[in-house]
Amino acid sequence: MTSVPSPVRPKYVGRAVRRKEDARLLRGEGSYIADLKVRGTLHMAVLRSTHAHADLVTVDATAAREATGVVDVLTGTDIPDVGHIPCIDMYPDTKPATHPVLAQGRVRYVGQPIAAVVADSALHASAAAQLIGVEYADLPPVVDLDQAVSENAELLYPQFASNIVNTIAQDVGDCAAAFADADRVFSETFRIHRYGPMPMETRGVLAQVDSVSGRLILYTSTQFPHLVRQFLGGVLDLPESQIRVVAPDVGGGFGGKCEFYPEEVLAPLFARRLRRPIRWIESRAEHMVASSQAREQRHDVRIAISRDGVISAMTVESWTNNGAALCTLATTPASISSAMGRGPYRIPHYRARAHSVVSNKTPLAVYRGAGHPQAALVLERMFDIMAADLGLEPLELRLKNMLTPEELPADRGTDIILAGHVEYDSGDYPRVLTRAAEMIGDADKKAAQQDARNRGKYLGIGFCCFVEETSIGPYESATVRVDSTGKVTLLTGSSPHGQGHVTTFSQLVADELEVPIEDVTVLYGDTDVVRDGVGTFASRSAAMGGAAARRASEAVRDKALRIASHLLEVDVDDLEWRDGGAQVKGSPTSRVELGALSSAATPWNPPLPDGMDWDLAADYRHQAAGIAFANATHAAKVEVDAETGVVDIVDYVVVHDCGTVINPLLVEGQVIGGVAQGIGGTLFEELAYDEQGRPCSPTFNDYLMPTVSDMPWVRTDHFESPSPLNPYGFKGAGEGGAAGAPGALVNAISDALSPLGVSLKSDGPWTPENLLGQIDEG
Amino acid sequence: MRQFTPIELTVNGRPVEASLKPNLTLADYLRDELDLTGTHVGCEHGTCGSCTVLVDGQPIRSCLMLAIQADSCEVTTVEGLSEAGELSKVQRAFNANHAMQCGFCTPGFVVSLTALTRQEPAATEEQLRATLDGHLCRCTGYQNILKAGREALSHGEGS
Repeated sequence: MTSVPSPVRPKYVGRAVRRKEDARLLRGEGSYIADLKVRGTLHMAVLRSTHAHADLVTVDATAAREATGVVDVLTGTDIPDVGHIPCIDMYPDTKPATHPVLAQGRVRYVGQPIAAVVADSALHASAAAQLIGVEYADLPPVVDLDQAVSENAELLYPQFASNIVNTIAQDVGDCAAAFADADRVFSETFRIHRYGPMPMETRGVLAQVDSVSGRLILYTSTQFPHLVRQFLGGVLDLPESQIRVVAPDVGGGFGGKCEFYPEEVLAPLFARRLRRPIRWIESRAEHMVASSQAREQRHDVRIAISRDGVISAMTVESWTNNGAALCTLATTPASISSAMGRGPYRIPHYRARAHSVVSNKTPLAVYRGAGHPQAALVLERMFDIMAADLGLEPLELRLKNMLTPEELPADRGTDIILAGHVEYDSGDYPRVLTRAAEMIGDADKKAAQQDARNRGKYLGIGFCCFVEETSIGPYESATVRVDSTGKVTLLTGSSPHGQGHVTTFSQLVADELEVPIEDVTVLYGDTDVVRDGVGTFASRSAAMGGAAARRASEAVRDKALRIASHLLEVDVDDLEWRDGGAQVKGSPTSRVELGALSSAATPWNPPLPDGMDWDLAADYRHQAAGIAFANATHAAKVEVDAETGVVDIVDYVVVHDCGTVINPLLVEGQVIGGVAQGIGGTLFEELAYDEQGRPCSPTFNDYLMPTVSDMPWVRTDHFESPSPLNPYGFKGAGEGGAAGAPGALVNAISDALSPLGVSLKSDGPWTPENLLGQIDEG
Repeated sequence: MRQFTPIELTVNGRPVEASLKPNLTLADYLRDELDLTGTHVGCEHGTCGSCTVLVDGQPIRSCLMLAIQADSCEVTTVEGLSEAGELSKVQRAFNANHAMQCGFCTPGFVVSLTALTRQEPAATEEQLRATLDGHLCRCTGYQNILKAGREALSHGEGS
């Protein structure tokens, strides 16, 4: 498929169009899950395990049932027929270590739901939940990765005989031969710590049985309402036709709401039992243990390289600490890390083994970038470590091994679960790196380092180059309809949570139909309004949902031209589309406007020609022809105070290529927002556990996220290598910011502190305290 | 027996009388009883700033204040900042600079910046940053919020 150019007369695509969604949100008129109010609502509270690993000897709800305001209580034994939370990224031989909606006899993490109470107020519900008597018989907790895979480790699921529940293999070429022939072999172990998405809005649900149809309605703060409908149907054994799922305004997700959660089953269960609306809003304290966590991996890497710096082979064995169960998207981080381990570099021989390991922590799932940040950090650290050893410049070593545009498309010989085969489609990786080096001032580093030393600081520059799987399929839906007033409605299956789809998709539709952007209404998030869809995750919306929106718009335009041909009695080939109407070529006064064309396709009008249906509308389902790979280089310049361990990011550059840009304002917003999350994860954020598996970060006073004063002024540059895999060349832009920041920062800090013998082998978090420990060891 | 405490206050210019449970937070009162749901509760412990409202012109975290403490006070929420639907200067600056994504934290930022622009129309960059530092945003990385703040304070272009 070749790239189709932008519309003939683009007015909106490529422009920094201001967001259409802002005004109502700025006025406080947003409608987030906690803002919904339904008459007669009852409130749900969830009793959660306070033990990391234990058998449940008794769960006694007698007192709770009699407590003030309580209407109903469910424990695990009450719902034996309810299915487990599905894991959708299992391999054929994955051990099905999925988790039940309520604990069945055993708890495996602090925060696991044991029982749920419904009462007339949230206060009564939570007070009653505390009256449920739970007797635990503790089992040895399995907390960290090394412990979980050690011999004689306590098994979370004895039936699987191991805490390793999945192993992914990626084999390319002949590593053994390459290592045997290598001049030098470098081996290191890297550790990636656990942190998480942490959207500002917690999760929440409101479930009710529709009094008219008897169907279940579930409002939930989710990134994928259509998949929730499917999962809920499966778990409750209900036809999808009996379920309507609505995602209202969603206050951030970042992967954390790209999961299906027990509360999304419990509230519907109660709603069906009681025929009353059931509401549950997650508290922040609950969120810290009950919503998905991310990142935690160990990588053992070996690289075979020649004396002059050509890498011939790489092996990597990794372990992902998946926590207590395989949740909805569980193996994806390991799959991406292992499939993308070579980044933008040739490395002809490659072997990866990626293990998913269960432990007594909250289940781990995807978070902005999924497995990319980990893999990028590991390889990019290796480049700096090897360059220092071989006496080469880090930049030179990278460029020597980097794929050039002439080598693309490049079949990488690896696969990503749910996404497919890895074949880099397009891009100019060396140009992106070179530009980043120029912007960060790499050539002037020595002078900058001397200047910093004169001020008592250590300065370093770090790079992180990566290629990123984006625009995951399998498809996305769009319906475009023109009503009799000539206004346009787009229904999209890609339900947003802050990305600005209303604006970007309006730009696309407005340009195709040549109508004012104000004339386009974008609807999403309600499975009764948009009958089919996939969702917003994996940097897929522009390339999948956007492509579908444009294709559907094209189909509407084509139909409008055919109606015009009928009305004007002119051959369709003699017509052209101009400014939202059809006109005779060379005779612009012979013209029909969009409103008249759509009116002609409504009832009470003369019939349309044979074969033409009523209604000026079109459905389009865009299917992914392959993965569109974005790429970027991040460059960080830091100054470290070796006395205090404080890292000051003095400059930060992102040069990236996400193909055709719909709205540079929004793309830049995505990039910088992602960088902030990467900075947070590398410098402050950690979901730590003690030896008993108890979480150590119950509040935002313990889990420190960046504020404005922690952020550098991020400078960006954009290149556009349109992807040949979708008609408009889109690639995803949502996650790259978070994927590159850890590698760039850890390289920069290591570079800064190299005079003190520091070479970091983890992503920290590099709090002053942790960094001082490294400086003391160095 | 539950005790109720009578209070009288002004919310967005409108006089309100109520008899409230003493343990009701101002955030819950505004949201649940007055349906002013633009005030968002993100952490319930005063860290994130999403629930910021003006009490007698001062930005406060409504999750940490009891509603009965607002007796005799003038409370302004984000809904009270745009007259007749017209966006205020701060709100317009947020739109112009793409200073928001999911919009959940936005009302808190807007309320705090409104207080700053009213109290210190010529606030320095340092004062602006100090104001924003009390708020968490997980989407934007703050850069565009800073630009919006500068624009609202007429600092001119962001760097």
